[in-house]
Amino acid sequence: MAMSTGSSGGAVPNINVTPLIDVLLVLLIIFMAITPLKPSRFEAKVPAEPKDQQNVNVKPNPLTLVIAINKDTKQITLNNEPYGDVTDTEKLNTKLHEIFKDRTDNGVFREGTNEIEKTVFIKSPKSVHYGDVVKVIDAAKEAGASPIGLQIDDLQD
Amino acid sequence: MAMQVGGSGELNSEINVTPMVDVMLVLLIIFMIVTPLLQSGVSVNLPRDMISPDEDADIAKDTSVVIAIPDNSNFYIGKEQYPLDALGDVIKRRMEGKTPEKRIVYIKSGIDVDYGRVVQAIETIRKQDIDKIGLVADKKKGTTPPKT
Repeated sequence: MAMSTGSSGGAVPNINVTPLIDVLLVLLIIFMAITPLKPSRFEAKVPAEPKDQQNVNVKPNPLTLVIAINKDTKQITLNNEPYGDVTDTEKLNTKLHEIFKDRTDNGVFREGTNEIEKTVFIKSPKSVHYGDVVKVIDAAKEAGASPIGLQIDDLQD
Repeated sequence: MAMQVGGSGELNSEINVTPMVDVMLVLLIIFMIVTPLLQSGVSVNLPRDMISPDEDADIAKDTSVVIAIPDNSNFYIGKEQYPLDALGDVIKRRMEGKTPEKRIVYIKSGIDVDYGRVVQAIETIRKQDIDKIGLVADKKKGTTPPKT
């Protein structure tokens, strides 16, 4: 054979690369599992603590969107109208998309600025699981809500 | 030359392993850099497959404040467990000297934790004059955030 021209004691110069490939593949798999763990987060605003208890007459903003979650039925309401529940946030998402599109078309601005009013508040009873609340936040954020505020005071148990 | 002692047509049967060693070393170095970043804090059952959270590399930084709430009874900052009333001081200390736009506290809460516990943590945070919080969640693979 052409390979054994080396005459006497002709060692075949083949290295077994299989273990090397094994190791490299395992490393590759580990990398693939690790990389999707890029951290990401939802930014939410919380109201500053009231400094003193003055009874200031705050005019409620008619453009405010409040998403509430019902404690027992897990139903989602947007300004007191029901839009599905926490297992299916599609309806809420569609409605918010509609509202924001309307506002963009009609030029509904946040008071004193030229940004479209997209503020959304989320109100959830304390016993609801955090995972469900995050689902609602996700739906609101996807529709373009910003900033998202969390109601902290006077929550139901 | 010494190499050619083998005489006519003798093949050098040694493999050049240098490139392989190079690759291995690079992989090793990458691992050494990546692993400490992954083990920041306790493990929490984060909300998964979310469509629209924003990526934020700051969460993994040592200087940022991340409150982990793995279950209904404990609060962690980094790997240390703190009672609720001690959280405020720790946050205050770690927030010292940060620019206003960097004053954000991240909350890593498990999905089964009651929202009330998260609210307790948020209440403590806002007592430190911080009005921005980041709710850490895992993004669904292969989705792009909506362009707004």
